[in-house]
Amino acid sequence: MSVADNEVRQIESDEAPTRFARGWHCLGLERDFADGKPHRITAFGVKLVVFAGEDGKVSVLDGYCRHMGGDLTQGTVKGNEIACPFHDWRWGGDGKCKAIPYARRVPLRARTQAWQTLVQDGLLFVWNDPEGNPPPEDVTIPKISGYDDPEYTDWVWYQTTIEGANCREIVDNVVDMAHFFYVHYSFPTFFKNIFEGHVATQFMTGTGREDIIRPQTEGSTAPKSTGNSSVASYHGPSFMIDDLTYHYEDAPDVPSVLINCHYPVDANTFVLQYGVIVKKLPGLDDAAAEAMARKMGDFIKIGFEQDVEIWKNKTRIDNPLLCEEDGPVYQLRRWYEQFYVDVADVAPEMTERFEFEIDTTRPNEAWRAEVEQNIADRADAAEKV
Amino acid sequence: MSVRPDNRLDDGPMHQVTCAACSALVQVRKSSFEQTSIQWSDDALDTCVERRAASPRPGPNGETFSGCQSLRESIRGAVEHGDLPVQDDTPTPVNPEADTEASHA
Ligand code: FES
Ligand SMILES: [Fe+2]
Repeated sequence: MSVADNEVRQIESDEAPTRFARGWHCLGLERDFADGKPHRITAFGVKLVVFAGEDGKVSVLDGYCRHMGGDLTQGTVKGNEIACPFHDWRWGGDGKCKAIPYARRVPLRARTQAWQTLVQDGLLFVWNDPEGNPPPEDVTIPKISGYDDPEYTDWVWYQTTIEGANCREIVDNVVDMAHFFYVHYSFPTFFKNIFEGHVATQFMTGTGREDIIRPQTEGSTAPKSTGNSSVASYHGPSFMIDDLTYHYEDAPDVPSVLINCHYPVDANTFVLQYGVIVKKLPGLDDAAAEAMARKMGDFIKIGFEQDVEIWKNKTRIDNPLLCEEDGPVYQLRRWYEQFYVDVADVAPEMTERFEFEIDTTRPNEAWRAEVEQNIADRADAAEKV
Repeated sequence: MSVRPDNRLDDGPMHQVTCAACSALVQVRKSSFEQTSIQWSDDALDTCVERRAASPRPGPNGETFSGCQSLRESIRGAVEHGDLPVQDDTPTPVNPEADTEASHA
């Protein structure tokens, strides 16, 4: 054996970036911030206060008062302003100090950092840009038409904080076909990625794994699932819309929209949020439709929880060793890098269109065999009882 | 952050393919007959006729152009003519001839 044959491959891992991605980040459901109380969010390495004024408008400000550093997240909403708990200075959603009840006038330059927000489809977004520029006109989040459609349920929403991992881990998922089988219990039969501009898309068709018993099929009379088709796009660094349709035997398709989004807390912590709206089946009342969305969400949650377990324990790796049946991890990271450099430094290769379609023949053969084996093993075990 | 090159390119690099319909130049790699990666340049994308004619698909992600059919055919042609190697050239079920030609490429 030559020396090269004996050589061990070393994992290379660069430090996680200290800057945070430029782009729209979803902080959660607007309705959760609309209770007239200040909310504390730690994101992009800083403390933010999120509050809705009497006018209903949700604003996001830096969490610390420019007077003597009071914590605005412990303050009170008064009118359309957030009042500091320390000396009651009033800060408006535009970042300006509007009033100091005990002072004759507000001093010059009494202005704190206000974050540009966007409320769309029931979701609250903030714009992060380390260079301090406003969002370009063509950098938007597409509308989700199902949200305004009375035929759809409202959001069923989930949130979890992941410590000890940089958010690049979740973005990698968009190209990682094989993990959908092992971690999310799905069975991809078609898988293609397209990156272009600030959008990264995944086209996936698949079925469920027959060896995994889903909560909704056990003992239920629901129609048998025949699979799903999904078009999922990251619009910018952190917000993914998954246009997901479930197919059934002898029953109509069930369209749904799954959101998968995150915001960074610091270089090695991020908050993962996901939620789902589902088209109500004919004959289902609102409560039953909502229960169905919840069931779907709970199944998706199992997959994400397993992702989280992986992320918490894995190492950051900048030189993954890929086989031909893996997705375009390197090219995805090249795309992702555009959000971590100044706009002037965005290189063409970060945004130029790239397509990658995986041949699922070999993975499907292996997975079919594994599923059959698992089912046979279970039948054996059941016989022995 | 610096992104490293894809380790799979060591086994076989990308090759240039010209679209027969619009002459766009793209870089292509065939991992198998069913697996293709395509690297476009902005120039090539501007040249693509199908891309210009495409209207958005329905749904929130409908703006993503799903791909050019003419280019797909040109890539198939390049494989058949032996101009584009295939990493795993197990015979294609569609065109058995393509295998022998491609393996001599
Ligand atoms: S520190 Fe906020 S009012 Fe004084
Ligand atoms: Fe995952």
